[in-house]
Amino acid sequence: MIEVNDITKKFGRKKVLKGVSFTAEQGEITCIIGINGVGKTTILNAIMNLTPLNEGQILINGETIHKHSYEKITFIPDAIIMQPNMTIAESMQFMADFYDSWNQERATELLDFFKLQEDEKINDLSKGNRAKVNLLLGLALDVDYLLMDEPFSGIDIFSREQIAEVFTSHLVEDRGVIITTHEIGDIEHLIDKVVLLDDGKVLKQFNSEEVREEEGKSVVDVMREVYQP
Amino acid sequence: MNRFVKLVNFELSRFMKVYLTLAALTIIVQVAGVIVKANEYMAKANEAINEDRIPMAQFVEQNGAMSFMDFTRSLWFMGPIAICAAALIFYIFMIWYRDWLGKNTFIYRLLMLPTARLNVYLAKAASIVLMVLGLVSVQLIILPLENSVFKWMVPVDFRSDMTVGQIINWDYLSMIIPQTFTEFILYYGAGFMAVSILFTAILFERSFKWKGIIAGIGYIAISVIIFALPVLSMIFLNREYLYPLEILGLEVALGIVVTAMSIGVGNYLLKKKVTV
Repeated sequence: MIEVNDITKKFGRKKVLKGVSFTAEQGEITCIIGINGVGKTTILNAIMNLTPLNEGQILINGETIHKHSYEKITFIPDAIIMQPNMTIAESMQFMADFYDSWNQERATELLDFFKLQEDEKINDLSKGNRAKVNLLLGLALDVDYLLMDEPFSGIDIFSREQIAEVFTSHLVEDRGVIITTHEIGDIEHLIDKVVLLDDGKVLKQFNSEEVREEEGKSVVDVMREVYQP
Repeated sequence: MNRFVKLVNFELSRFMKVYLTLAALTIIVQVAGVIVKANEYMAKANEAINEDRIPMAQFVEQNGAMSFMDFTRSLWFMGPIAICAAALIFYIFMIWYRDWLGKNTFIYRLLMLPTARLNVYLAKAASIVLMVLGLVSVQLIILPLENSVFKWMVPVDFRSDMTVGQIINWDYLSMIIPQTFTEFILYYGAGFMAVSILFTAILFERSFKWKGIIAGIGYIAISVIIFALPVLSMIFLNREYLYPLEILGLEVALGIVVTAMSIGVGNYLLKKKVTV
């Protein structure tokens, strides 16, 4: 379980996160929703120890993050995190060289799934294909948790459909996923838990299925209630 | 192969094209320089002997025999060395900033590798040291070649021969190519210390942005003061109470302290403070 406990983050004098708390379980898709600039990416960065916190604590399976944690949890940011002059094959080799959790079989499967060519340079790829390579490099790791930052941001509808398809496949099965987005249309039906964020605070968090069954509301309905009262 | 070695290999490969260009530039410009300088001298000699009818011995007496030093003191020789040195100093900054700036977000990947973040720091430092050693090796390899070209172009009566050993002994070259193992440790140890101080200053900036620039400059100043303490104390106290060997011993000890401090602070910043 990922436990985010009362975290606060300041950039200069500006408080971006103000006591944010939530948990994310393995085997569930947790979606952090909020408009741009509310601190969604900062939360993911903080979970991965890519930005220091001013207050609070984050635990992954009961421990603070350490070097071996990166074999168990991975982060897929909205921009590709590989050298632009590398080919897809070289990028995959880089991951294989450094991660014991790299699963070459799954990487090959993902390559076919996304219809990507191994010898293509990252620099030459379209934005949609870069997002797919980014996803491939993250999903091919045998990790317990996947963090995804705006995976649908700025890419064409066909690539979005293909990426959304990943969530229903065995490629994500049994893993804990934390996804940030402000466009939930593509994955609304897949989300287990929702964390609604505004102005650095959690406005509401709920189990989407419970809300659907008990109150007959969709995630978007709850969002309307919270953001447009 | 452990992850540190893989990281060093990766860092080296990222700079390899520029690095090979620098090595090629050094070889081409220096060899061309020997040819140009030798031609200039021989053209002058031929003009004096054939047109002005000056005897060869008199020409050599008046102008001096050409030595390899005439070439090593020229821009043809020093220029490429200066360019390589400037490129590597620039690269000390680039090796970090290229991972953060522009479209490149590779720092995410480096910081999320399942290895100690200190390895990222040390791999970058080791790459710089290896690149410096590589370029010095290129220089060492081409010196005999250049000396041969020089001997081939300038007849024996017009030249004053030097061995490669004598050439290397010459003032600034002896700094680049140390004569003894102790000198090697001292010069390159000092170089490694300078790299580690700069790396840590860069990480201050990457951790605290504008305040980090001040902290980084402050860190450089403190490191230099600590390292220069034996010399500074004698200047301010106006008393030479230490023997040169004692000063050397203290400098070596303080150099080790400053390097260890820089690596330690750099490791702390990478683990706890740095932000993507």
